[in-house]
Amino acid sequence: MIGERELIDAFEALESDSLQRWIDLDWVRPQTDGSDLRFDEVDVARVRLICDLHYELRIEESSLSVVLSLMDQLYAARRDLRKLAVAINAQPDDVREAIAKLTVTGS
Amino acid sequence: MADPYQILGVTRTATQAEIRKAYLRLAKKNHPDLHPGDKAAEARFKEIASANDIVGDVKKRARFDGGEIDASGAEVHRQPEREFYRQHADAGSDFKYDRAWSGGDPLDSDLFAELFGSRSARRNPRGADINYTFPVDFIEAVNGAKKRVVMADGKTLDISIPAGVRDGQTLRLRGQGQPGVGGAEPGDTLVEIHINPHPVFQRDGNSIRSRLALTLGEALAGAKLPVETVNGVVQLTIPRGSKSGSILRLRGKGVPSKSGHGDHLVELQVILPDHPDDALIKAVTEWEAKHPYHPRSVEEAAS
Repeated sequence: MIGERELIDAFEALESDSLQRWIDLDWVRPQTDGSDLRFDEVDVARVRLICDLHYELRIEESSLSVVLSLMDQLYAARRDLRKLAVAINAQPDDVREAIAKLTVTGS
Repeated sequence: MADPYQILGVTRTATQAEIRKAYLRLAKKNHPDLHPGDKAAEARFKEIASANDIVGDVKKRARFDGGEIDASGAEVHRQPEREFYRQHADAGSDFKYDRAWSGGDPLDSDLFAELFGSRSARRNPRGADINYTFPVDFIEAVNGAKKRVVMADGKTLDISIPAGVRDGQTLRLRGQGQPGVGGAEPGDTLVEIHINPHPVFQRDGNSIRSRLALTLGEALAGAKLPVETVNGVVQLTIPRGSKSGSILRLRGKGVPSKSGHGDHLVELQVILPDHPDDALIKAVTEWEAKHPYHPRSVEEAAS
């Protein structure tokens, strides 16, 4: 966990105003400790991603809301699929083969 | 390490603006966090970033063009190991950014809803049904009853047996089956009704059948006799000269139903005395000699 100051120092392009706006937009969800913000490693990785997309790849904030929303849905769907994969792996061989057959042929 | 111009798909004479444009296009297309399922995206992205580090910078581009630095040397120096968002977001099962960032509602998994019952959109199927056979007395089946039974699991169940229930009919007690998993609805208890036979009554749809034994005198002279029905005893008028096998109808004394009560059908049976004496035999024989009748005439004509 790091504080707001450390986070801003870690990213060259990042400014306090932008970070605050992203938090207001619910793009980043730090924990609050009194009046202090605490960022865990997932928050830091997410800030790095937003910096990449915004400062480096020049994606405007208005477009970024769409990008992040779709990304969050994509990752959630992949987690669901992974849970399903675990459940399928726990099935008997014949069930797994039947599922494999259907998902490969798509029919 | 490939040639940075080649990686970015530009010529050696490209302007800085053209290089910048090519880099942005490729970097957006290959950012690993936008391609969680593509393992190679990270390598491609780093390669593109390294290429841009060299030729995207006017001074470094001049040194590269002059042969002072090469692509691979620059790469090691310029691209330290970095972390991507997908290493967090694409691992594990629960994730803080799973919730939609705009509304705050959890992203409901319509995928699972479709898999495990799209009609109800429930995540878990409801509990299993319990099948149960329940014996019911004949009269209770006709008139209805409330019964309390103890199930196999020790649970007490109140069963309301509707009037007129039929043998083999199944009553569904909603929500009284096995509990559902994870907040899903419980199953139902299915009670199959088995009606015990009655020593006097027989059921024929909504009609009740019984027999009434008559003495010879009652059959000949007629009588008013008490008859047991499912609703209690009623007085039945036996007409003068009633024959064995004829049926008298007690309207509305049968099984209740939506379309009104059924009837009670009484079949008469004339019983001779156990030991008819000569006087009786003589009297009847003399009577028959004067008044011959032909009870088998129909049967004889048919055969």
